[in-house]
Amino acid sequence: MTTDGLRKAGHWWLAAVCVALAGAALGASPQPAKATCANCHRAEAQSQPHTPMGIGIELPPNQEALEAHPKLTVEENGYRYNIERKNGVSTYTVSDGSGTLSLPIRYAFGVHNLTFVLEYQGHFYESLVSYYQKIEGLGITMGDERIRPHDLTSAMGRQTSDQEIVACFTCHGTGGVSQGKLALESLKPGLSCEHCHTGADAHMQAMAGGKPAPIPRKLGDMAAEEMSNFCGQCHRTWETVVGLRLFGEKNVRFQPYRLANSQCFLGDDKRIRCTACHDPHMALVREDAYYDRACMACHSAKPGAAAAAVMQKACPVADKNCVSCHMPKVQMPGAPAVFTDHDIRVAHAGDPYPQ
Amino acid sequence: MLRGLTVTAVLCTIAAGGGRAATFDELAAQAAAARRGNHIPEAIEFYRQAVQLRASWVEGWWFLGTLSYATYQYAGCEAAFDEFVKLDDKRALAWSLLGLCEFETGKYDPALDHLRQGLAAGKDLAPEVEAGVRFHYGLLLSRAGIFDRGKRELERYARGGAHEPMLIAGLGLNALHQPLLPNEVPAERLDMVVKAGTATRFWILGENDQAEAGFQELVNQYPAAAGVHYLYGTYLSHTRPQEAMAELRRELELNPANADAGATLALLLVRANDLSGALPYARKAATDQPADALAEYAYGEVLLGTGDPRPAIARLEAAERLDPAALEYHTALAGAYSRAGRLEDARRERRVSMDMAAGVPHPELNAQSAQSGARSPENR
Repeated sequence: MTTDGLRKAGHWWLAAVCVALAGAALGASPQPAKATCANCHRAEAQSQPHTPMGIGIELPPNQEALEAHPKLTVEENGYRYNIERKNGVSTYTVSDGSGTLSLPIRYAFGVHNLTFVLEYQGHFYESLVSYYQKIEGLGITMGDERIRPHDLTSAMGRQTSDQEIVACFTCHGTGGVSQGKLALESLKPGLSCEHCHTGADAHMQAMAGGKPAPIPRKLGDMAAEEMSNFCGQCHRTWETVVGLRLFGEKNVRFQPYRLANSQCFLGDDKRIRCTACHDPHMALVREDAYYDRACMACHSAKPGAAAAAVMQKACPVADKNCVSCHMPKVQMPGAPAVFTDHDIRVAHAGDPYPQ
Repeated sequence: MLRGLTVTAVLCTIAAGGGRAATFDELAAQAAAARRGNHIPEAIEFYRQAVQLRASWVEGWWFLGTLSYATYQYAGCEAAFDEFVKLDDKRALAWSLLGLCEFETGKYDPALDHLRQGLAAGKDLAPEVEAGVRFHYGLLLSRAGIFDRGKRELERYARGGAHEPMLIAGLGLNALHQPLLPNEVPAERLDMVVKAGTATRFWILGENDQAEAGFQELVNQYPAAAGVHYLYGTYLSHTRPQEAMAELRRELELNPANADAGATLALLLVRANDLSGALPYARKAATDQPADALAEYAYGEVLLGTGDPRPAIARLEAAERLDPAALEYHTALAGAYSRAGRLEDARRERRVSMDMAAGVPHPELNAQSAQSGARSPENR
């Protein structure tokens, strides 16, 4: 057996022990317990479903924000929008004074801010208004601020292409897309382990059956550029944003694009990759100081802070709360939402927004 | 009647010279007077005589060329601008008119080169002239088998609202990868070419219901024709990738030499995270058509996905050299440089890409375009 073979065999043995131990800890019978990723990866499996990526979409009746706000109203572009909740189902209604169009909300995409995917006459539509946590109310959907509806249908929402709607359900749910086509009967909200860790399901089943199985690729091996492209499959890659010419403040929500434009972005370095700051299995941390360690991995003046790593100039102004200056908050044009700009830079008040 | 009298008057003026040969200054003055008086045939004759006396007279060649073009005398126009550009090679319109005349007289290879020089020379082309130049350039690129670049030019023209039969046929030939001009289409293929061009125009204009219907009719009517499944597969690749892959596989069964079909299939497989499936298609496309930019790009993308960015960079650089106006080649190369730790190269490519995407002219890009365009079509 080769060294590589031994290493793989070692992984298999270790995982099998994990499965067995997990079963024993739960007081299970000697029969193989139902395998889940949590058997071995308990912490990640417990926390991830509660993250925004773990939630992804809210399906009725589990739509917290809509439950908490059973009646929402706004007027935009001369149309009146109402969302009313009855018996666990919210109905999206648009009217122009003479006509009305009402549709049930089956898919509320997002967590803090919700955009609704509506079905009408065999097509999918992205709702023209969304729920925004900041105002606890409705506003024009991000990216749709230039749309000027000309009838009830266009006021209700923007019809999506087949590819776009497949991408929506791919990034916000699990099992909703099969072989490149929608399969919404098997849709589950949020992203499962398999979504990022391709091969995880097969690996887990094989482990549970006591068989050797290929280990899913270790994503921790990725350096910054590769990881940006990986996460950018949903959060938009630099290439996608440039290719679609999404310039201006509206691109602040596409973090991989913004990060790649940073002066300090080094594509072959792990210290500036997405997971250097964000653990995708954990809720987003909102304290600025939490991120200092990532900045200091390169910009520390203290010797030994990152041994053998290439060090960059230390900040002459402060050594904490770096992101409060170097990653300014940007208001989304036309929407009550604020995003942290991942184009890390020396930002001065009044500077124009870098494309 | 009035025009006849005027001509007579002009000729009398010449005769009044006493039978001696007119001097250059006299001919130049007479040419200008005739031109200003809109006596075009006479003006052409005076300019022709004047430049024979003084071959270095730039203005004379210019007016001889433009007046000849305006009166459909393409051979004379071509000769005039051929001399003009030897004296002044900075005028975009001169190169463009030279290329357009050569197009009309059937000198297609020099026409392609001269239209390219016209477009590269500067910004002094009026929008409507530039549109026409780009249209003919697109037709010639397609004829030379440079379909991806030809497609961009023809698309641009179609987006401007044009729908004349020559455009429809040009779009169809380009879409089906048939290296012909519209007037060279054999009668038995004309219906297929027109159907392909019509559906492609609807696609360009975003009229997808009509495009879909057109493509389905094309596939049903010509299921075994080369290029048809490639075209439909390319259309589907934007919305229904699984169906697109099936169409592209069908194309490759019928027409294994279609490198762009293999390259497009490889790119779809990369996007579906099937790198091992993509590799043979990309490798074959790049091997079969070593000067096909799309094939190089697809192979580069596949190699990039498999890990080592160095061989990928070589392929992506080749794609960029072959077609420097393709934004996606620059963006892909920026990412590959970044992964390889080539920070400065990555930044440069990002800057070029963003400028291109924002429509900002970029000196590095212009230089690359000029070099690339200097290749003869035979090198493809």
